[in-house]
Amino acid sequence: METERICPNCHKPLAPDMPLGLCPECLLKAGLNTGPEPATGSSASSGFVPPTVADLAKLFPQLEILEFIGKGGMGAVYKARQPGLDRLVALKILPPSAASGLGFAERFNREARALARLNHPNIVTVHDFGQVAAGALPNAPAGTLHYLIMEYVDGGNLRQIERAGQFTPEQALAIVPQICEALQFAHNEGIVHRDIKPENILMDKRGRVKITDFGIAKILGLTADNAPLTGARDVVGTPHYMAPEQIEKPRTVDHRADIYSLGVVFYEMLTGELPIGRFAPPSRKVQVDVRLDEVVLHALEKEPELRYQQASQVKTAVENIANTSARALNAPGPEARPNPDALERQIAARDYHLYIGSCIRRGWALVRRDFWSTLGVTWLVLVLLAAAASFGQTTHHHGVMTFDTSVLSALLSGPLMGGLNYFLLMRIRGQHVGAEAAFAGFKASLVHLFLAGFVTEVLTVLGFACLILPGIYLLVAWSFTLPLVIDKGLEFWPAMRISRRTVTRHWWQVAALALVLFLLAVSGVLACGIGIAVTVPVSMAAFMYAYEDIFN
Amino acid sequence: MSDSEPTSAGGPAPRSPVFVTTHWSVVLTAGGGDTTGARRALEKLCQTYWYPLYAYVRRRSFTPQDAEDLTQDFFARFLEHDWVANADREKGRFRTFLLSALNHFLSNEWDKARAQKRGGGAPLLPLQFDTAETRYTREPADGVTPEQAFERRWALTLLETVTRRLGAEYDQAGKADLFAALNPCLVGDRTAQPYEELAKKLSLNEGAVKSAVHRLRQRYRLLLREEIANTVASPGDVEEELRHLVAVLGGRA
Repeated sequence: METERICPNCHKPLAPDMPLGLCPECLLKAGLNTGPEPATGSSASSGFVPPTVADLAKLFPQLEILEFIGKGGMGAVYKARQPGLDRLVALKILPPSAASGLGFAERFNREARALARLNHPNIVTVHDFGQVAAGALPNAPAGTLHYLIMEYVDGGNLRQIERAGQFTPEQALAIVPQICEALQFAHNEGIVHRDIKPENILMDKRGRVKITDFGIAKILGLTADNAPLTGARDVVGTPHYMAPEQIEKPRTVDHRADIYSLGVVFYEMLTGELPIGRFAPPSRKVQVDVRLDEVVLHALEKEPELRYQQASQVKTAVENIANTSARALNAPGPEARPNPDALERQIAARDYHLYIGSCIRRGWALVRRDFWSTLGVTWLVLVLLAAAASFGQTTHHHGVMTFDTSVLSALLSGPLMGGLNYFLLMRIRGQHVGAEAAFAGFKASLVHLFLAGFVTEVLTVLGFACLILPGIYLLVAWSFTLPLVIDKGLEFWPAMRISRRTVTRHWWQVAALALVLFLLAVSGVLACGIGIAVTVPVSMAAFMYAYEDIFN
Repeated sequence: MSDSEPTSAGGPAPRSPVFVTTHWSVVLTAGGGDTTGARRALEKLCQTYWYPLYAYVRRRSFTPQDAEDLTQDFFARFLEHDWVANADREKGRFRTFLLSALNHFLSNEWDKARAQKRGGGAPLLPLQFDTAETRYTREPADGVTPEQAFERRWALTLLETVTRRLGAEYDQAGKADLFAALNPCLVGDRTAQPYEELAKKLSLNEGAVKSAVHRLRQRYRLLLREEIANTVASPGDVEEELRHLVAVLGGRA
C-alpha cells in the first residue's frame, strides 16, 4: 500500500502517476497569468522582456524616448522623438532571441532596405534601421539589438477599434480600398506582407489607414525558406489570417496570400467573425450589399489562381459597389453623369507611376486566361474598323502628306474602340462579360464616344499636319479619352481635358508606354505574321491596365 | 506522441515561436476540405488525446475489449469521414468537439457486431491499448461521471504532453539533471522556492539558480499555452480553456 503523498503547495493528497510527480492542479495553475512574472496574455508569449525606457535612452542618445507603446510577437515598440527634425517616430526593437539565427544580419539589412523603398501614404514608412550594442542589458543575452525607426501613427490598430465597437459597413468599405492601394504598391515593388491582420493595420486620427510590419516576418527569418523542417509549427502568420498555401505549401507563397488575408480581415470587419469552416456570406449575417459577398468570397478562394490576382482589382470592385450604392441612396435625380471637376480633383490627388513591364505582364496574363474571347473580340472590333475604313475611302492631300481617311471610320472608331476598351476593362476587373459588351459603346454614351473619337482623330491629324511634334504630344495626351468616357461616363470634352491634364503630369511615362505597346503590337509581325494576332490584344490589355493604375 | 522540438544550440533558450500554426485552427480553417496539412494536424491531435476518450468509454461501463474496439473504430471513422466539416465556430474546442463526436458515434453508428467483423485492416492510429487498461485500473474509482472522467483525463494528458516536451528539451541540451532538480519549482509562487537549497545541491550561486528557475517556468508556461492553443480555435480562447481545466482538476467543474 503506497503511503499517500501531499502536495507541498496546496496540501491536497497527491495521486500516484502524476506528471513529474507534481500536483496537477498546482502545475496547471502555474500556467495562469498571476504574479509579477512577465507573462503576456497572448498565447504567443515569448521569453522576450522589452527594455525599459531608461535603458533605451542610453542606447539611443540621438532619440528622445517618450514611452513604451506595446509589445507584440514581432518586437517591442516605443514612442520617441527625433529632436533635430522635431518629429515623432516609432522605435521598434526586435526580439534579441530572433537575432541569433544564421544569416540574420544579412537578412535584416536586405529586407529593411526593401522596406525603406515602400514610400506610400498607406504604408508606415521606415526612416532608419540598424543595430546597437546592447551591452549589459538584462534579458538581452547577445550583444546587439536590432531596431527600426518608423513613422509614428497617432491612432490605434483595427483590432483595438474593433473591440471598441463594431465597424459599420460604410467604414469597412472606406478602409478596404486604402489597404488595397498599399498592398498593390508593395506588390509592385515585389514585396509581400505575409502577415496581414487587424493588429497590423493602423488607423490615424484622420481616418487614414497605414499598414505596418511589412516584411518583418522575413527579417525575423520566419518564412518558409528559413523555417526548420520540424512540422508545421513555425510557419509565419497568424493562423486565421493565413492563406491555405501558407500552411500547405509555404514555398509557393506569393502576393496572392496577402489578398486572402485581406479577405479574412474584410469579412471580420463586416460580420465581426472569422470565416472558419463553413461560414455564411456577409450579406446573410449583416445588412450589407449582396455584391460584397462575391468580392469577399472571391478573395477567400482556397486556390490562389481563383482569387483576385491583384489588390487593385479588389479595390475597384469595392469602390464600384460603394459608389453605386451611394448613388442609389443620394442621387434620385436624373443626374447620371459624374461631376467632372470633382472627378478630376480626385484623380489629380492621387499621383501615379506607370510600371510598363507590370502592365505588359498583366496584359499577357489576362489574354492567356481568357484567350479565345479576348482575341476574338479584339480582332472582331479591329476588323470592323478596318472594314469601315475601306468603305468610302477618300484621299486628301495636304502639302506633302497624303491621308486616306474615311468619314465612316472616323464616326465609328470612337464607339468601337470605346466598346473594346470597356470589354477589356470588365475582364480586368474580373467581371465576366460576353462579347456583346464590346458594343456597349453603341448603347451608352454613344454621342460622346463618337465625338471623342472623331474630334481626337481630326485634331490629331491636323496636329500632325502642322508639325509632327504637337501631333504626337496630343495623341499621347488624349489617349485615355475613350476609356474615361465609357468607364466614368464623362462627356467628351471633360474627358479629353482630364486625360490631357493627367497625362501631362508624366507625359514621358505615358509616351514611353504608348511607344512600347505600339512596338509590342507590331512586333507580332516578326513571328510569321500570326503573332500579331496575339500581341495586339496583349498591348491593348496592357494599355487598359495602365488606365486602371492611373485613374482607379 | 507529439513532436518535441529540437531547440537551438546552447540549452533550452526561449526560442520565440512568434507565430504558431495550431493544430485545431489548421483543421478548422481547412473547413472540411481534406488537405494533407489538416489531416496531419487532426491525426496528431487524435494521437495525443485518445486516452481520455478510452477512459470515458470505460467509465460508460464498456468492457475493456469493447472499449478498445470502440475507440479504434471511432478514430478510424473520425479521420476517414471528415466530420470536421460540421465543426463551426461554436464548437471552438477540440475537446468538446471530440466528445460530442464520440457520443454521436455511440448512439448512431457503433455496432458491436460490425466491429467484430472488421478485423482485417491495420489500425490507422498506433494506440497503446495494452497499457491503456492498466492505466485505467489505477485511476481513482471515485464517483465521477464519465464526462468528468474524460475532462480530468484530458487535463492530465495535456500536462503529461507538456512536461514530456519540456523534459525532452532539457534532455537534448544535456541538462537532464538540471531539469530533474528544478522541476518541483514549477508549482507554487516564484518567491516560495527553495533557492538556497538548490544552489547548494547544484553548486551554483543563488542568482544563477533563480534565473534558471525563471527560464524553466517561462518555457513551461509557453509550452503549456502552445499545447492548449492546439486544441482551441483562436488565441483568445487559451486563457479560458486553461481556467476551465484548472477548475476540472480542482473538482469544481
